[in-house]
Amino acid sequence: METDRLIQRLAETSGPVSRLAPPSIRTAIWLALAIPYVALVVFVMTPRSDLVAKLTDAAYVVEQFAALATGITAALAAFASIMPGFDRRFLLLPVPPFAVWFGSLSLGCVQSWFQFGPDGLSLHPDWFCFPAIILVGMVPAITMALMLRRGAPLTPRLTTALGGLATAGLGNFGLRLFHPQDASIMVLVWQMGTVFVLTALAGWAGRWLLDWRALTGTVRRSITVR
Amino acid sequence: MDNRALEMLMQAAQSGDTRAYAQLLNEITPRLRQIIQNQRRFLQPADIEDLVQEVLLSLHAVRATYDPQRPFKPWLFAIARNRLADGARHYARHAAHELQVEDLTVTFSDQVANIDAEAYGDPEALKRAIQELPRGQREAIEMLKLRELSLKEAAAASGTSVGALKVSVHRAMARLRKVVNG
Repeated sequence: METDRLIQRLAETSGPVSRLAPPSIRTAIWLALAIPYVALVVFVMTPRSDLVAKLTDAAYVVEQFAALATGITAALAAFASIMPGFDRRFLLLPVPPFAVWFGSLSLGCVQSWFQFGPDGLSLHPDWFCFPAIILVGMVPAITMALMLRRGAPLTPRLTTALGGLATAGLGNFGLRLFHPQDASIMVLVWQMGTVFVLTALAGWAGRWLLDWRALTGTVRRSITVR
Repeated sequence: MDNRALEMLMQAAQSGDTRAYAQLLNEITPRLRQIIQNQRRFLQPADIEDLVQEVLLSLHAVRATYDPQRPFKPWLFAIARNRLADGARHYARHAAHELQVEDLTVTFSDQVANIDAEAYGDPEALKRAIQELPRGQREAIEMLKLRELSLKEAAAASGTSVGALKVSVHRAMARLRKVVNG
C-alpha cells in the first residue's frame, strides 16, 4: 500500500479515542481495584491473631510500608513507561522503597545473627509463600496486565517487570497480614525471593504481552477490511 | 507547521476529526521520512518507506497515549525512535539467519539455472538424481521447478524463508549439474 493511501485509510477508519489518564490516576484506579481484593483475601485467610500487637513492632511496620510503597511506585513506573516521551526518572521511583524494604530485612538478619548466632539465620521450607503471594496478587496482576496493554509497548520487558514488582509487592504486603512469619531470613528468602521470581517471570512474559506487531497488525487488518 | 498547530491537530484527531488527522499525518510524514533516511542511510527507499508506514501505524495504534498537556513532537519522536530500534533488532535477527542471494539464478529464463535436458538423455537418471537430493533441496526443486510455484508461494508452503529457498535450489541445481555432467 502506498503511504498516501495508508494515511487516507488511517484517517477514514479513525474515530474518537479515550485518552489514557496520567500514570498517577491510573495507579489510583489500579489500587482502587486491587486493595479491596487483597482485603478480601486477608479476610478469607483470617488476619493473624497478633496483628494489633505487630503494629507496635517497628521493623514489621517499616517493612510493610516499604512493601506497599514498592508496589505503588512500581505501578506508577509501569504506567509511565507505556507513555511515549515519558520522563525516564519515573523508572527509578521503586528503588528507594525497595532499598528500605530489603535493607530492613537485611538488618533484621544481621541483628538475628548477633543475637542468636547461626541459629538466628536458620532456614526451613516455607513453600506456602509462593502460592499465597500469587493468590493475593492474582487479581491485581490481571488488572495490571489489562491496563498496561492499552499503552505503547516501548519497553515490554521492563514494563511488565515493573508491573510484576507492583503486584508482588502488594501481594507480600497482604501475605504478612495473615501469615505469621517474621523471621527476617525467612521473609528475605521465601517472601522477597518470591517477589524476585514473580518480577523476573513477568519481565520474561513482556515480549508476548506487549508487542508492537500485534498492535500494528490489528490496525492493518482494520484498514484493509471494507 | 509549528508545534502548537501539530498539538491542536492531534487533539482534534483524538476527538474523531478525520480531516485534522489526515492533515496531521501528511504533515509529519516527510519529517519522519527524513529522520529515517538520516538514521538508516544503508536502507533502500522501499525499506525506508516501510519504516515510515510502521511508525504511522504505531502512532495510530497508540494515539490514545498522547497527553494534550504535553508537547507533541517528543511523543512522536519517542514512537519513531522505538520503532526504528525495533526494526533494527528485527533486521539484525533476520540478517544473522539469512543469506542474501538476490543474484542467484532461480528462474527458467536464466540460462545458468537451466539444465540442458538433452545432455541427460535419460529422464530416469534425472528423476533418480532429484530423489537423491537432501530433503530440503529436493522439496525446493519440486516446488519451484516442477510445480512452478512462485518463491513466495513455496516459502509459505514449506515454512521456510525466501532466502533459504533460494539457497536450497541453488545448491540442488549445482548437484544436479554435477550428476548431468558426470
